[in-house]
Amino acid sequence: MKGKRVKCLGLAFGCALSLLGCASSADGKVEIEIVQYKPEAANYFKTVEDEFNATHDDIHLTISSPNDATTILKTRFIREDYPDIIGIGGDINYSYFVDAEILSDISDYQGIANINPGYLEIAESLELVPVEGTYILPYVANAAGVLYNRDMFEEHGWQIPETWEEMLNLCGEIQAEGILPFYFGFKDTWTCLAPWNAMAVELSPSDTAKQVNKGATTFTSEYRELAEKYMQLLPYGPNDPFAYGYNDACTAFARGESAMYPIGSYATPQILSVNPDLNIDSFVMPASDNKEDRTLNSGIDLGFCVMEGCRNKEAAYEVLDFLYADENLQKYIDDQNAVPCKTGDFRLASMLDGMLPFIEEGNMTDYQDHYYPSEMSVDALLQTFLIEKDVDDFLTTFDTNWQRYNRDIIRMVQAYEAAHGNAN
Amino acid sequence: MKHENDRKRTFLLITIPILALFICFNTIPLIRGAMYSFTNSRGFGSFEWVGFRNYADLFTDSRVGKSYLFTVKLALVTTIVVNVLSLILALGLNSKIRAKGFFRGAYFLPNILGSLVVGYIFNYFFTYILPALADMIGIESLRSSILSSPSRAWIGVMIVCAWQAIAMNTIIYISGLQTVPEDVYEAGGLDGATGWKRFRHLTFPLIIPFFSINMVLSVKNFLMVFDQIVALTKGGPSQSTESISYLIYNNGMAGGQFGFQSANAVVFFIVIVVISVAQMKFSSSKEEQL
Repeated sequence: MKGKRVKCLGLAFGCALSLLGCASSADGKVEIEIVQYKPEAANYFKTVEDEFNATHDDIHLTISSPNDATTILKTRFIREDYPDIIGIGGDINYSYFVDAEILSDISDYQGIANINPGYLEIAESLELVPVEGTYILPYVANAAGVLYNRDMFEEHGWQIPETWEEMLNLCGEIQAEGILPFYFGFKDTWTCLAPWNAMAVELSPSDTAKQVNKGATTFTSEYRELAEKYMQLLPYGPNDPFAYGYNDACTAFARGESAMYPIGSYATPQILSVNPDLNIDSFVMPASDNKEDRTLNSGIDLGFCVMEGCRNKEAAYEVLDFLYADENLQKYIDDQNAVPCKTGDFRLASMLDGMLPFIEEGNMTDYQDHYYPSEMSVDALLQTFLIEKDVDDFLTTFDTNWQRYNRDIIRMVQAYEAAHGNAN
Repeated sequence: MKHENDRKRTFLLITIPILALFICFNTIPLIRGAMYSFTNSRGFGSFEWVGFRNYADLFTDSRVGKSYLFTVKLALVTTIVVNVLSLILALGLNSKIRAKGFFRGAYFLPNILGSLVVGYIFNYFFTYILPALADMIGIESLRSSILSSPSRAWIGVMIVCAWQAIAMNTIIYISGLQTVPEDVYEAGGLDGATGWKRFRHLTFPLIIPFFSINMVLSVKNFLMVFDQIVALTKGGPSQSTESISYLIYNNGMAGGQFGFQSANAVVFFIVIVVISVAQMKFSSSKEEQL
């Protein structure tokens, strides 16, 4: 099939394309290409690329950080054009890539020993059905909860809430002083997922999606409390949260227009770019009435996978060694306020202060939405729900859409279970 | 005779490369797309053949249904708005007014701007400027951004589409109006055809070919609306402005529904062909010859 396409293209642009296609190893160097999906870290990866090339004679490294990289990657995969290493998040796309057998098993890579086992476990549970081997090397994690304006809190003497009731009381208190408790940027549908995920880790089991796939439970029974509680947050946000996008919300929070912003730690660089002096801290979103139920919503924000098509795995491992060197990882952490997935002594950003105890304890739970298929657009479902405020309708739609969009996966899981007794 | 053959060969030499390019970049991808529509492919990796399941799903999928409804509604309303306004503009710009060249240039301006740029500017306008204005004047219903309301967001999309499309349609109408000979108006004037009557019975029948080309172009363009959606709403709020093209791109590429959305694209292709052919048939039957 590939041959045929090349022949056709050859009619028109053959020369031009083949030049592009065989750009590698003109000077005897091994070419390693990384495509990573975090455009906000593009500058960091540019310096890594330069430093790597300056210190290595036998390998030439190219790192690209395009916008909407997952779509670009998938489009390239359609053309069977694979980079050597991809940097992606631990979400459903990773599950799909593993299932499509386009990632290479890296269990023979020695660096794995230094990775926090908690994150390797998270990666493993992302596999649709258990697969032998390791396919992603977690780099950094992010954490979602509530970012708050530390100065504003100190000034008014507000306390960090530890239960759902305290949370609502705090919101009431803030509102009583004429300050907006929350800002939301629900025009960008994906931001609807941030508070949802942060509350879901406490209110429903982390493997809810898998249990539903097995037919053991339904979302209607698992998510009702979550949906009802989410709705109670709305009155504490701006009047028309669906008019503002993520950028608008970050800007507004940075300018002190609200006391809190329920979003992930990944938003802090954006916020600080508007107001570098803002004193931000974070706390774990309390959603349960029991403060022992609190757990930090954290998942793999960026990990590296070696593609099956990579022709020189040793060179790829050398690149990984360089990326995971302590000083480079520390630079990334400083730059992006991220949480490292490697064990060791790293300095974390001050806006993670409130989450630090949870990280140190290892009390972390992966995002529920990492299990949602992207084409089901749960973010848009949530947005609809927040506009319509109809819990029953939302939960029914969630369940019916889930069955419809996961049909192939559910069949696969059930076939696996029939064969192996129990999928984890 | 030999001369004739040479001529034919020249035409063939011109046609064949173009045909080859067309087949390579249009027909083959189309056939491959149709092939994928019978699989459960995510676009990469392994896939299975699923027969007509994707097509059966299409007709039961409420999201697809919603996107067809939205797109058809948008295309119909925008086509009417665009054609009425651009015909009026063309009539004005074709009459003897001052600084005609300047006005024609000014009204053509939106067409040269990229639709994403226009979209982002209007996005800012709808989110911040319009609500602020409404607040000042005291119009209650416009105080919140129209793009944030599922029932009104399509109006925002419609305005942006129309604003930009009017430019091209106006130019086509102006060129149409210039083909109407002056003596027809003179003769009509003797029979008492002025104002609306003149337009209704003389001008309009004579520019029907231009009207039909405008209708076909508008309907086709608005059925395939994409850029404006990306810049304004990204399909939201609550999927109320998800056009068919946007859904195909979004779920086919970014989501894992390559096979399913290929089926959607095949159906959409057939729909557009049918609509275009029907329109051509209908309006060519109405054409007048001088």
